[in-house]
Amino acid sequence: MDVVEQLAGSVTIIEPRGRIDSATAKEFGDCLSKLLNAGRHQLVIDLHSITYISSAGFRQLLIAKRSTQDKNGKLAVCGVSGEVKRLFDIGAFGELLPIHPTREAGIASVQ
Amino acid sequence: MSAALNGEVSAVSAEEGRPHETSNTIRSFLRRAYSAPILPPTARKPSSLIYNADDRPSIAIALSNGVQHVGLISINLVYPLLICRAVDAPIPMVENLLSVGMIVLSFGTLIQVLRLGPIGSGYMLPSTFTASYFAPGLIAARIGGLPLVFGMTIFAGALEAFVAPMLNRLRTFLPVEVSGLVIFMLGVAAGLAGLRTVLGPTATPVNSAEWVVAAMTLGSMTALNIWAKGLARMLCALIGLTIGYAVALTAGLLNPALWLLVDQAAWLGIPQFGHVAWSFNATLIAPFAIASLAAAMKAAGTLTICEKMNDSTWVRPNMRSITRGVLSDGLATMVAGIAGTPGGVNTSTPSAALSSATGVASRNIALVAAAIFFTLGFCPKLTAVLAVMPRAVVVAALMYAVTFIMINGLQIMMSRMLDVRRTFVLGLSILAGLTIEVFPKSVSMMPSEIAAVAGSSLVASTAIALLLNLVFRIGARKTATLNVEREQIDPQKIENFLFEQGKAWGARQDVTNRASFGVTQLIEAIAETCWKTGKMVVRASFDEYRMEIAVTYPGERLELPEERPSIEQIRDSEDGARLLGGFMLRRNADHILSGIQDGKCTVHFHYDH
Repeated sequence: MDVVEQLAGSVTIIEPRGRIDSATAKEFGDCLSKLLNAGRHQLVIDLHSITYISSAGFRQLLIAKRSTQDKNGKLAVCGVSGEVKRLFDIGAFGELLPIHPTREAGIASVQ
Repeated sequence: MSAALNGEVSAVSAEEGRPHETSNTIRSFLRRAYSAPILPPTARKPSSLIYNADDRPSIAIALSNGVQHVGLISINLVYPLLICRAVDAPIPMVENLLSVGMIVLSFGTLIQVLRLGPIGSGYMLPSTFTASYFAPGLIAARIGGLPLVFGMTIFAGALEAFVAPMLNRLRTFLPVEVSGLVIFMLGVAAGLAGLRTVLGPTATPVNSAEWVVAAMTLGSMTALNIWAKGLARMLCALIGLTIGYAVALTAGLLNPALWLLVDQAAWLGIPQFGHVAWSFNATLIAPFAIASLAAAMKAAGTLTICEKMNDSTWVRPNMRSITRGVLSDGLATMVAGIAGTPGGVNTSTPSAALSSATGVASRNIALVAAAIFFTLGFCPKLTAVLAVMPRAVVVAALMYAVTFIMINGLQIMMSRMLDVRRTFVLGLSILAGLTIEVFPKSVSMMPSEIAAVAGSSLVASTAIALLLNLVFRIGARKTATLNVEREQIDPQKIENFLFEQGKAWGARQDVTNRASFGVTQLIEAIAETCWKTGKMVVRASFDEYRMEIAVTYPGERLELPEERPSIEQIRDSEDGARLLGGFMLRRNADHILSGIQDGKCTVHFHYDH
């Protein structure tokens, strides 16, 4: 799994690519923690390049969401469609991890 | 004195307590039947919906939407009307039968939206007369008059209620494409039966004015449906009927003697049940049973539409809710027969489409629609207007209705990947049905046992489809196995195995996706704690109705919670990902079972196809 980072003003956009499973979830979680520790508290996670996310990946998203809240920051998720959207649905994450239809909407929601 | 006083006091308390208890009982009944939410707590309202099933819109919105639904459903009154015409029922009797029909529609709508015991889905899904029972009803009317129609309708309703809990298991014998075929042939049979009443050898020849009226009626309904917007489009059938009446009046097709009966009909009146008598004919079991199964499958399909419409997180049909809905549909048809209505009822698919288009799917609308039906049932003047409908208008309305039924059937058939087996099942069955319609005398050349079944195009095509479907299942199941070593887990290799097999077997992509997620998520969840050593065997099997995956490994069982673990459990516990994984695996499959034998655990995943 690769993670691409971009800045849009004060917002950091994280774009993981490939699979987020038990083998890669820790690496993904560490990447998010590093950003938060570096003071990047407005995060948008764009999942459009993700082909698979398992329960381990969802756990990392929930941990990151809590960490941003602890630091008075915000975390948004966007780019979720197809099979990955179905996995969000079966995990019943509708209210826990609201999905924004576009990256722009995600950025607006954390600003 | 004191005791007497106490006695008096306690007596008064008891008297006061009764109304209080009664009101509590009523309140609790209403809460269970209506107020309690029907959508699951995890449901999310789709952005396209303004009011979901559990929302309560204002009275004005509820009223306007209720009127639209009743207007939409009104077109289907042609089915009981045509059955009445087949037995030459006098106009006052037709007027009364239609009034009773309105009450039945009200009852059917109510028991669908209220949840009484095991009955009713709770969704906004009004009842309507249905084409399903039209062709068999016409046969029954010709053989034994209205009592036979009523009696066979009771049988059909009882059968629908009986099969309601078994619908899922019947899928193997009654697959989706065969239900599509049944619906298509229902449309064909109903359309041809209607046309025969004006073009058949025994029908009164059609005059030129009738052609004009029929063309204007059908043309206006179609044009409004294609080009109009808003309310005019929603009510296109009702407006088309009104235009048909107006043109028929201008062309002199409204018999003044009959119109006098409308004039004489009262604005208010109580429907009568003196006409009710029932009879039964075993030779009609087959057509009514097929119509009943078609109605059950159609109701299940419409209820699925409602579930999807109300919940953006919808994953798969809730069979408990569908069973309740189909059960209430069957009971409404039984009541139609008992009350003496010429034809059974069914959930209205166009109504579900209307809810989707308007974004208003609140259960309150169903209550309003039921109230309107009920009121119309006590308005003989209105049912008298319907009873004298000129045949040109009736047939045009029927053509309009069956067009949608036929295309709906075709869409259902085409929703499946039509491999060689299904092509033969559908092609030969349609051909058989059309043969009976075009060459009805061919039935007399058959042995009497077969002729009893083959006498109706609907029965013949369905019977052949069911038979061929069973025969062609021989050799349909395929299997493949993959071994995975604990030390060499490669999720990509497992995915590739399932995707390659799925493609080779012709499995739907969404089913293969679910199967692939099931196996890879299971391996992730068990790799750390439950499966520590040895070889895992993944055995996949497939036929056109299901994909089964059995995963066997040496080790312990994985917990598969029915409720999602709390956010704290997922996030803060080391077991969080595993617990969530178990929950997701349960939600991902249609059925999941796990068991241990001789130190080996097997997890069975079942996916409907």
